[in-house]
Amino acid sequence: MTKIKIFISLALVAILIPTSCNDDFLNTKPQDRISSDITWSDGALSQAFVFNVYSYLGYGGFEEQMLAAYTDEAMFTHAGRNINTLTEGSESPSNIAWTSATYEWGNMYLAIRQANIAIENLPDATFENEPLKEQLLGEAHFMRAYYYHQLLRFYGGVPLIDKAYGLDDDYSVARNSFEDCVNFIIADLDNAADLLEGKNPERGRANRLAALALKSRVLLYAASDLHDISTASANSTVIADFANKELLGYSSGSQTSRWEAAKTAAKAVLDAGTGYKLNLSAPVTSDEGRSNYVALSMGGGSAAADASANVELLFERTHTPLYTVENNWPLGGIHFGINNGPNGYHNWAGNTPVQQLVDDYEMMDGSKFDWNNPAHSADPYSNRDPRFYASILYDGATWKPRPSDVAQLDPVNQIQTGYYDNGSGGIINGVDTRQSAVENWNGSRTHYYVRKFIDPDPAVVENQSGYQVVPWPFLRYTEAVLNYAEACIELGEEDEARTWLNKIRFRSGMPAIAESGVALRDRYRNERRIELAYEEHRYHDARRWMIAAATLGRPIGEIHIEATLKAGQSPRVPYRHDKTVYDYTYVPQVNTDNESRTWVDKMYYRPISRNEVSRNDKLIQNPGY
Amino acid sequence: MKINPKPNSKSLLFIMKVTLLNVLIISLTFVFAHAVHTNGQGVLDRKVSLKVENVKVKELLNELEGKAKVNFTYRPELLKNLKRISLDAVAAPLGDILAQLFYENISYEVIGKQIVLKSTNDEKIKEVFTPIDFAIQVSGKVVDEAGLPLPGVNVIEKGTTNGVATDADGKFSLTVNEEAVLVFSFIGFVTQEVPVNNRTVLDVRLQSDVTSLQEVIVVGYGEQKKVTVTGSVVAVSGTELQKSPVIDLSNSLAGRLPGVTAIQASGEPGYDASTIRIRGINTLGNSNALIVIDGIPDRDGGFGRLAPQDIESMSVLKDASAAIYGARAANGVILITTKRGKSGTPKISYDYNQGWAQPTRIPDMSNASEYAAIMNEFPVYTLPANEWAAAWEGIQADGTYTASNGQTINAIFSPEDVQKYKDHSNPWTHPDEDWFNTAFKNWSPQSRHNLQLSGGTEQVKYLASLGYLFQDAYYKNSATYYKQYNFRINLDAKVNKYINTSLGIMAREEVRNFPTVGAGAIFRMLMRGRPTEPEVWPNGLPGPDIENGENPIVITTNQTGYHRNPTDYLQTNGKLEITNPWIDGLKLTMLGAIDKTINRTKRWETPWYLYTWDKASYEPDGVTPTLQRSLRSTFSDPRLTQSESNVLNTNLTAMLSYDRTFANEHTINIMAGITREEFEGEYFQAYRRNFISPAIDQLFAGGSLQMNTDGSGYKRARLGNYGRVAYNFKETYLAEFIWRYDGSYIFPESGRFGFFPGILLGYNISNESFFRNNVTFIDFLKIRASYGQMGNDQVFFRGGLQEYAFLSAYGFGQYPIGGQVATTLRETRVANPDFTWETANNMNVGIDATGLGGKIDLSFDYFYNKRTDILIQKTGSTPSSSGISSLLPPVNAGKVDNKGFEFKVGYNTEISGLKISAGVNGGYAQNKVIFMDEIPGAPEYQREEGKPYGAYLAYQSDGAFLSQEEIASNTIDYSAVTSNLRPGDMKFKDLNDDGVIDADDQLRMDKTITPNFTYGITMNLQYRNFDLSVLFQGASGGLLRFGTESGDIGNYLKYSYDHRWTIDNPSSTYPRLATRGDTYYTGGNYGNNTFNLFNTNYLRLKNVELGYNLPSTLTEKVSIGALRVYVNALNLVTWDKFKIWDPESVSGSGQYYPQARVINTGVRLTF
Repeated sequence: MTKIKIFISLALVAILIPTSCNDDFLNTKPQDRISSDITWSDGALSQAFVFNVYSYLGYGGFEEQMLAAYTDEAMFTHAGRNINTLTEGSESPSNIAWTSATYEWGNMYLAIRQANIAIENLPDATFENEPLKEQLLGEAHFMRAYYYHQLLRFYGGVPLIDKAYGLDDDYSVARNSFEDCVNFIIADLDNAADLLEGKNPERGRANRLAALALKSRVLLYAASDLHDISTASANSTVIADFANKELLGYSSGSQTSRWEAAKTAAKAVLDAGTGYKLNLSAPVTSDEGRSNYVALSMGGGSAAADASANVELLFERTHTPLYTVENNWPLGGIHFGINNGPNGYHNWAGNTPVQQLVDDYEMMDGSKFDWNNPAHSADPYSNRDPRFYASILYDGATWKPRPSDVAQLDPVNQIQTGYYDNGSGGIINGVDTRQSAVENWNGSRTHYYVRKFIDPDPAVVENQSGYQVVPWPFLRYTEAVLNYAEACIELGEEDEARTWLNKIRFRSGMPAIAESGVALRDRYRNERRIELAYEEHRYHDARRWMIAAATLGRPIGEIHIEATLKAGQSPRVPYRHDKTVYDYTYVPQVNTDNESRTWVDKMYYRPISRNEVSRNDKLIQNPGY
Repeated sequence: MKINPKPNSKSLLFIMKVTLLNVLIISLTFVFAHAVHTNGQGVLDRKVSLKVENVKVKELLNELEGKAKVNFTYRPELLKNLKRISLDAVAAPLGDILAQLFYENISYEVIGKQIVLKSTNDEKIKEVFTPIDFAIQVSGKVVDEAGLPLPGVNVIEKGTTNGVATDADGKFSLTVNEEAVLVFSFIGFVTQEVPVNNRTVLDVRLQSDVTSLQEVIVVGYGEQKKVTVTGSVVAVSGTELQKSPVIDLSNSLAGRLPGVTAIQASGEPGYDASTIRIRGINTLGNSNALIVIDGIPDRDGGFGRLAPQDIESMSVLKDASAAIYGARAANGVILITTKRGKSGTPKISYDYNQGWAQPTRIPDMSNASEYAAIMNEFPVYTLPANEWAAAWEGIQADGTYTASNGQTINAIFSPEDVQKYKDHSNPWTHPDEDWFNTAFKNWSPQSRHNLQLSGGTEQVKYLASLGYLFQDAYYKNSATYYKQYNFRINLDAKVNKYINTSLGIMAREEVRNFPTVGAGAIFRMLMRGRPTEPEVWPNGLPGPDIENGENPIVITTNQTGYHRNPTDYLQTNGKLEITNPWIDGLKLTMLGAIDKTINRTKRWETPWYLYTWDKASYEPDGVTPTLQRSLRSTFSDPRLTQSESNVLNTNLTAMLSYDRTFANEHTINIMAGITREEFEGEYFQAYRRNFISPAIDQLFAGGSLQMNTDGSGYKRARLGNYGRVAYNFKETYLAEFIWRYDGSYIFPESGRFGFFPGILLGYNISNESFFRNNVTFIDFLKIRASYGQMGNDQVFFRGGLQEYAFLSAYGFGQYPIGGQVATTLRETRVANPDFTWETANNMNVGIDATGLGGKIDLSFDYFYNKRTDILIQKTGSTPSSSGISSLLPPVNAGKVDNKGFEFKVGYNTEISGLKISAGVNGGYAQNKVIFMDEIPGAPEYQREEGKPYGAYLAYQSDGAFLSQEEIASNTIDYSAVTSNLRPGDMKFKDLNDDGVIDADDQLRMDKTITPNFTYGITMNLQYRNFDLSVLFQGASGGLLRFGTESGDIGNYLKYSYDHRWTIDNPSSTYPRLATRGDTYYTGGNYGNNTFNLFNTNYLRLKNVELGYNLPSTLTEKVSIGALRVYVNALNLVTWDKFKIWDPESVSGSGQYYPQARVINTGVRLTF
């Protein structure tokens, strides 16, 4: 019997071994996460949370498909990215065109939620550092305003959500009026400006000036024709027929008072900051103008440009030179040069300038460029606004050293987007064309490449581990200047407007303008277009001015360049641009084959996806969809 | 089995031949001699109490066998002349008794619990006995199918009690009547009757009895006789799996097990495993089966890299029989049992396989002139359609055409170029490159060596094996290859009558080697490579890249650095079994396992160079092109990444079982167990770049800027209580109840534990006399049914395991702030404090039958699985404006039904010495989504609910617009699709008849990428020493979304060239080609159309093996136990409709490493 007992006790021991420390061992702890409670009791952790609120800014505007490609700034080269879906007017709630995560509906609400969590928790946060708490709260308010302003300018009035939803809440919610949204954003920005007063955080974070500048933008938009319902209805039947106009703009109040508000807000920025070289009373030289504009584009992020231009950026997306493994979002270096540079540099020609943008750069003397002017058409790239040379790569433009495998074809580093007589009846296809021997599927269709935002430093070799650290300018001082000028023009304060516009022009080496009335407004609009090209303004400006049909809706213009040997000359081998050897002809053409652009009335707003409307029965779809 | 000598028979002496082989074996066993001796001593020390009077020695030995639990083996004639004897022993050692009995002439030797009696004086006995006239002595050797000797086989003269058992070498000798018929019988083998016909030497090969109902099948936490199995369990032996010359074992399963689907998506060495699915897809989440190796679930590394020679058997639990594995069993369980030693003289077997692999299929690409022709068409299509014909003529004739609007279009390739591409007159300027063939060699070697040593005594058994494996890739000068070293020791020791222990140790190193550029990029470039450009220049130097420096001829080699990824596994498990001495059938088993995995990566990237030519520069000789060597990697500084992950998994198990049959009628089996599992892992990574030279590939030599380190860790735990109660009455009425009470760390504490029951019933009708007496052609018929509830604790969303979803916690991220890398904290998920495992309700009914005297066997299963509480994210109903649609936690909400059937039919027969066994098996599984929180608002015919999970949503292609006239007469509005319809554009069906083609015209189809029916056809033939086995395998019901990266960016398939709308040959079936997806039907939303969905049904000759076993007369001469030579093959021939690349592929672009066809030769040598 004792043996049986021994056996039984052994059996019990055996059963107990696996259970000896009961089932507590199942309460494993995550090794890669930190509890929300701890987070809000620690300043550094709370700050890390707020840093994440910024992360929904993504790469800023440095995405492969840029907003510029939805406008008369650029054409996107590669097929199949749903760009045409928008530009050809066939976007619908069930066929959504390319939408960047930096303004996409769901991603914005995710970002707003993160800001809401910070705004909910920071006031009760238990760490003891009031200035930090204030600053973080201010940043959270700013970021919430920024994300709502993204939604507002693409979709109109949207549901205003100022809390962090829990699981199984009732998520159905109606859209707020346009006016409510503006007021909500302005309140957040006022809050942010107060909280950030005296705080001077590092670049890439919000500060008081950024809050003021964003406020200026939002109030400028609010004052614009698109959001003045009577004006908008007169210009758009889709808006006129829409039952819920309050979602799109103001039906009451005076547009003038809104312009006043916009002006005041802009002036607040001008008073609080300085901008870059905006104190000039006469134009600088063309060369100086060019390097000033390059410096502005580089925002201090290039060794080949004036780093002090960085003062211009009021809110930016910084980039780290200490990125780790390339391509690793979000730290990987910016691929802007690869995405957009010429194929003859092994780059991808993504968002190439269209002819209409090229044509809108004035002549050096401030006159318009005109194809009907034989001197202009024979030599279209001479004597233009210095900003042209800092923004656009064109046939014959000098650029960075070619990669060694292309150097054989172009030892002098000139952009080749033309077709050149080889002297024996054949044609040399420019190395940056779509008929090039180098990655021709990445050639520009417009025969231009963007240069603005590509670091000209030869040490930064695109597509060869040299990534640039050029910051993306979300808000810059010059925008506020332009906002101010616009408000002034709309309010009839033309002198004030001209004064400020000319400061911008002098910096670029352009002469003063003297127009008034409608002509002044047109000059202003062109100035804004040129100065802010590729900065995600044109899409919104053309819509809010309600000139989209005549601008964004135009078919894509491109250039066809041929070089024929002058009599008695023998060709340059290898080919190089040489006006003494070749006669160049420039023929503007229209591309409707790859993209057949049009403007449809409904395009003033993007549609809300059918799925979202189905999930939220209180949601009203935008007009025309 | 008692063997009584025939009283009057006389026999010759048994003479043991001492051969070279014996010497070898003896020297090899020397190492184990100590153990033999000790245990031999143990047997002889056994105390025996016995009292007999005047009995024959033989009868006394019988008594002793019972008392001392030993077996005596001897020639009957040995005892013939011994006197009757009396004995009175009280607790006397067996050795003493034997010493008294056999003090002269007879010696004894202990082997395990066998005691072999031998004559000490052969000569003397020979003189005494002479054969009588009517008897002859027959001797011979009994071997199994593999030619290995079988000890202990009963050899009986039919109709008499005269018989003998084979000795340790499988040899026997017996004096029998000249007319006698010998019956050879042994458990697990088919009994054979052989007429003597005056022969004196009879060698016999016994067939293992695969259909034997005595066969034992491994089930969850135990074994069951096949006759009493009530679940839907299929098994395959290691021997069977060995017939496929695969590197990853998962690739040998296809077609062998009904209801088990194996899909091999890639053939890349190191990553060529098949995805295994049991009864298809049952859930919206993770569908992986639980793998249990030697009783330990979830072992790191799975079973794919086990040596097939080490595998005893593989069982698959498809229904409620898996319930004993509880919260992880919902997708079925695969049980792997490794081989263990058998008592007997040591056996050494050595396997050597040398194989050669090549892709089953390389896509047929367009050649240079075909590509040029396609590219030349595109400029024409930019013109108004009414000018196409004229323009095409112009392009072909002069390479240019001026349209009526003044626009000039030029040929991409001039007529002269096209001609040169065609006539291959100048390979420098006009190559006709075949990118695949240039990059690949014809055959890539693979080889496997395996040495196995096994044997032992009743007390200690051992099996040790050592293996080496090498697998090359298809590339010339390949940097990709796989190497494996594996080692295993399985030991079993019987400490005493009540205590058994066993130990298993497995060590394995898997070394994966790759170039620094992944297979995806390599195959992308092979698919894209334009035939008009050289991969290699005629002088042998590498040509230019397609993009990013990625020329396959270079990036497949070590010219770009290397990527080494060795993984070391050390897996040990120990078992202690204690049998209770007082209660018969009660047993305690304790089991423990410690598994360690270390995975290291070293990735050394160095810049590389390619050669370009501007087609204009020549060397001074004027004819040799000047090639420019340029840096073409996308970086110029060497960089190094090193990482290491460390995993430690432990498992502690205790089980108590009671197993007994009462009154030969009632058999009960009760088992209860408990298992505690912990899994811990840590990962660490370091990266440095800016090495000043590629000369030193060590971290210290990297630059100080742009370093990066990373690391992570996890801790996981599970606890399970489980058990089984099985009862059967005379093996006729069978009932079984199994359960598990399981807890997983992955669930919140409140819902952590769950109870998972399974009930299984069986009825062996054929045991009933009414059946036996009336249905004579059926030998065996069983009906069975099961129902069980199981769980799935594997919560995966978008490929990530969702751990701690019940906690409100923030994860870490990074974002640049102020030009610096800042750490961020982000909400990873909204916490759900209340969720639990998904529940599988699995129902199965089946029958098993054999008939016609065992010639036919079949089984059929029908199953109905209802999976509920599937852990899903409620993304369908949650608006994005909630801000949480990407943060949704798992909730128990999804529902999926899965129904299907499996069958297996086998037939064996023998026709004049030709043994034939053939079989067909198949499995059909079709799931249906019942609830998945679908986005509301879609038309009924687009809903996912009601269709199989993953069913395609596609526009219904309706041919192509043949001509401009057809477009003119078209009444359907395509404005939401394109603003410009052109001839050759694809037509869509207006599904909802609203006159407009838009998103509402997509149809949810009822097919997915996964086949719903898989099947196998097997045939095994054996004639004399030859055997042939053939396996056909097929799958049907899957669709593949197809679309290559073609156009100016890359080459076209020959298929595309052959099936396209052209100006000369307009088609109403095939649309115009696109360059890089620039037509609405190739890219964007409308690219999702049925034209691009291909049927992937296939049937393939999966596996063939032809083998020859050298006759033992021959092998004995050279002192070899057995020698088998064979050739086998994998994926030899494939029949399908797809025909473009391998139909098993899941790649739509062809940018993947293709599956292999393998031809292999092998030899198996046994001593």
